[in-house]
Amino acid sequence: MAKRSSAISELIGRLPDPDERGLLSNIEKETVDSVVSQIYEGGRRSLRALIGLLVEPGRGDDVKPRYALHCLAVRMCRPDEEKARRAFARTLAMQLGGDKPKAVQKYLIRQLQVAGGKEVAAALGKMLQDEELYEPAAQALVAIGNGAAGQLRNALPKVDGKMKLTIIQNLGVVRDTESVSALRRAIGDDDREIRLAAGWALANIGDAGSVDLLLKAADAEGTYERIKAAKACLLLAEQLLDAGKKNSAVKIYKHLLSTRSGSDEAYICDMANEGLAAAAK
Amino acid sequence: MPKTEKVTRRHFIKGSIGAATAFTIVPRHVLGGPNQTPPSETFGAALIGCGGRGNGTFNAMGLEAKKLAICDVKFVGREDNKTIYTDFRRVLERKDIDVVAIATPPHWHALISIAAMEAGKDVLCEKPMTRFIAEGRAVAEAEKRYKRIFQVGTFGRFGRSRDPRSIEIHKIMASGLLKNNCKGVHIKSGGLKVKQWSGMVNAQPQPIPKSLDWDMYCGPSPLRPYHPHRHGGTHRGYWDYEGGGLADMGQHHYDPVQWVYAKDNTSPVEIEAYAPPAHQEACGMWGWVELKYADGMTFVFDSTEWGEPYNRKQAREVLLTDLSEEDQKKIKEMPDPEPLVSFAEAVKTRKRAGGNADVANRSATLLHLANIAIRTGRKLQYDPVKERVIGDEEANRLVNQPMRAPWHL
Repeated sequence: MAKRSSAISELIGRLPDPDERGLLSNIEKETVDSVVSQIYEGGRRSLRALIGLLVEPGRGDDVKPRYALHCLAVRMCRPDEEKARRAFARTLAMQLGGDKPKAVQKYLIRQLQVAGGKEVAAALGKMLQDEELYEPAAQALVAIGNGAAGQLRNALPKVDGKMKLTIIQNLGVVRDTESVSALRRAIGDDDREIRLAAGWALANIGDAGSVDLLLKAADAEGTYERIKAAKACLLLAEQLLDAGKKNSAVKIYKHLLSTRSGSDEAYICDMANEGLAAAAK
Repeated sequence: MPKTEKVTRRHFIKGSIGAATAFTIVPRHVLGGPNQTPPSETFGAALIGCGGRGNGTFNAMGLEAKKLAICDVKFVGREDNKTIYTDFRRVLERKDIDVVAIATPPHWHALISIAAMEAGKDVLCEKPMTRFIAEGRAVAEAEKRYKRIFQVGTFGRFGRSRDPRSIEIHKIMASGLLKNNCKGVHIKSGGLKVKQWSGMVNAQPQPIPKSLDWDMYCGPSPLRPYHPHRHGGTHRGYWDYEGGGLADMGQHHYDPVQWVYAKDNTSPVEIEAYAPPAHQEACGMWGWVELKYADGMTFVFDSTEWGEPYNRKQAREVLLTDLSEEDQKKIKEMPDPEPLVSFAEAVKTRKRAGGNADVANRSATLLHLANIAIRTGRKLQYDPVKERVIGDEEANRLVNQPMRAPWHL
């Protein structure tokens, strides 16, 4: 292991050094490609040795190992590298949840956002409950797509605060219809951001059963919340119109028309009128 | 109308039908004294992002605008939430603000533009319009949904749209007569500040200044350890906030070119870059990027700062003589395009601005596609209708990037 680590260190030592300003201004493509190819050829052992060189920020110089790992992640995304990509992703995923510093695990998750697939969704899902890793894990899952909804949905009951907000928002991003019940409950949360995220998520999913909930939220008194809740209503109405659920869309538009009487909200009424006209066609 | 009543632009427009004469007969000096702008033409405005471009962006609105609020994440300790803010959401709650100028780093451009339009405001937003492609489509949808005015902060197309030679080229390209036989090649050579706007690869964490809300600054982008190079101009060197010199300068150059070549409603279908492997966080050196449209028109970014210079094709204008004599006649008989509408005129008349969100999204897409080609190291095929890369999963993860909660498109 030490021998492999030493060999990797020597190899990545050939990568360019930053200049006096910290920039990679003197960079030769052929040199970088050659180093990355040799790490690639070294297979899983080289990859593990490379990962072993990563350290927490401020605890040493791992500029070159980080760069090399990212170049390798990008290389794994070539169309003819699917098998190698899965092996790469699994090797990174196996490092998560262990005793590596959180900052290093975070970096590995960022590389999984580049090169990971559904084979690492479960490993990322476990990180959704980690206070330092939940955000990059959620982003990696959403980027991967396949398998993301289930992991987010399973983690939701187990988290609170910012983690809960992140998961609710991303359930909306992936449009998980199976989360609708949980999202409806979240509309009544004490936390404003969670309420807003849940409303938007339901709108983005296009859940017709949430119309009344969103209309009630749209009557909020706080200006920012009122603006965002109106957005969710309009978004939901558009989704419903597209899905042919005109009656529900009309209900939204009529409610907005009747509750936005101030001249400062006239533009909302204009949109509601346009929506009604579209629904009438 | 009582002289003492404060009239905002919004109230004016709502009451203008059948009531416009009530304003025109009131002398200017009664309302505001000699040489004073009538209140009906004075707009309440806010500046969000008060760094190096702030005042320039605000003044670029070209409106009689009263700056009622300034907002920046570096105003911690100074904010009074009456005129000085650190949170743009509080600014947008104000009913006396009609227009906002946005001069934050680009990773905030789309979100604040959308939020402002949701709140009923018109927007002038600095370039580059966005940080990634999907943001641009979201801004365009918000502009359409809320019927607000949006203008990106680059104005070269206005001058080009009045230039006779540019008009001729525009008409040739808009006519479709060249179809798949366009031999035009436009090369932007140099002036892209590639090294100047590169990021540090060895930045070590530093204490966050007390006056800076770093979490809010990072916003939708990853919450990285603080370093001053990531903030205040040099933010341009990081994928998290911008896209290097290509993103910073590219829209200035190619937005007017896009108009000239009548490409406002489409995007290139093939993109190829010559560059070393890109760093994961810091924008760096690159050689050139070639972007080809379906009709054959080619745009090139040639940095001249790394590697061999671009030499695949020679620059070549589109010429009237590229067409048959019969088709040339058609071009000469075509009416000139309608003049582009300035931001100020758009705000007052509600006509669409010349640099609106749809066209600005397309010119920003050029930069983003170029950077995606640099970052993936692969030749890309792009679908300009679906606005997705074809057959490249990693590339599409850069077309639409996840955001940190509570921020989302």
